[in-house]
Amino acid sequence: MDKKNKIKISILLGIMCFFLTAGIAIQINTVKKSTITVGKTLAENELRDSVFRWKQKYENAYKTLEANEKELDSLREEIANTDQSHSSLTTQLEQYNLLLGNYELRGKGVEITLKDGDSSILKGYASDFIVHDADLYEVVNALKNAGAEAISINDQRIVTNTAITCVGNTVLINNEKVGAPFVIKAIGLPAKLYGSLTIPYGYLKLLEDDGVDVKITQVEKETIVIPKYNGIYKFNFATIHE
Amino acid sequence: MIYIGIILGCVIGAIIGSMAPVIPYTYSSYLSIAIVAALDTVFGGIASVIKKNFDLKIFLSGFFGNSILSIALTYLGEKLNVDIYLAAIVVFVGRMFMNLGIIRRYYIDKWVTMIEKRKNKKVKEEVKE
Repeated sequence: MDKKNKIKISILLGIMCFFLTAGIAIQINTVKKSTITVGKTLAENELRDSVFRWKQKYENAYKTLEANEKELDSLREEIANTDQSHSSLTTQLEQYNLLLGNYELRGKGVEITLKDGDSSILKGYASDFIVHDADLYEVVNALKNAGAEAISINDQRIVTNTAITCVGNTVLINNEKVGAPFVIKAIGLPAKLYGSLTIPYGYLKLLEDDGVDVKITQVEKETIVIPKYNGIYKFNFATIHE
Repeated sequence: MIYIGIILGCVIGAIIGSMAPVIPYTYSSYLSIAIVAALDTVFGGIASVIKKNFDLKIFLSGFFGNSILSIALTYLGEKLNVDIYLAAIVVFVGRMFMNLGIIRRYYIDKWVTMIEKRKNKKVKEEVKE
């Protein structure tokens, strides 16, 4: 009788422990995956939840897109190999994709870091030593002017339809939130890029005078990697006019 | 026997829990309050074993009943726009600390009496010599 009772108790306690540890493990996993700090209200939590779900959906869609692109590439290669007349077409295609920013690129160039100035040390108007969206497109413009072939800000590729806009204390680039410090990478002739950005009374010089923490380095080795453009090009209103 | 059951349950629970799919973030607040309630019951159970008035029926009903009740209260609080789960956490964690205090006191007492016994033995041996 006593033994039977003991078995019963141990089974019940085992089931209990199972529920407890399973719950804790699931909770830890959920908190780890969501990477969000604890929300204040449940309504906020629901919004966070939907953001989290959309992110997952986006990731899944992006993965399938990448897989499909790889398949497309291999098919193109196959065609180019079997048919000589197509090989010129493939190089042309590559050229266009290069222009659209559809490839991850690598090369030498410059790396610029723009950091907000330390407000505890600097005196004056606080807006002066904060990096603004306008500063970013001035720098991008200067880089383009100096013949940069590819530019990225915090791993967001700058392409033809990239917009840089101010949204409160962060900046939107390609509709993705990007915050300070800004790391701007550009591929091109390093000396030319560096020279045109650091001329006296150039924009970076002005920024530095305002109190912004500016760092610019020439990278002579081909170590700068600029990611490809994540978005898509859409033409809803424009048609080709012959 | 009992320890085997507990360890087996813990291991299986941890394995299945880590392999289980992630639950939506909204429900994670319910799960967290249920976990706190269950932990409170576990500590309460240990404290009642020390006090020698442990009852399995009360323990089990507390484990599942408290979890489900706290989830229901959290849900009600959400509907009424009152953060009832805060009250539940305050009560559960407060009780957890109380029970932990009982457990701690019991073991410290045991430890102290053990040391004193050893000392007494030594003293007696010295006296004999």
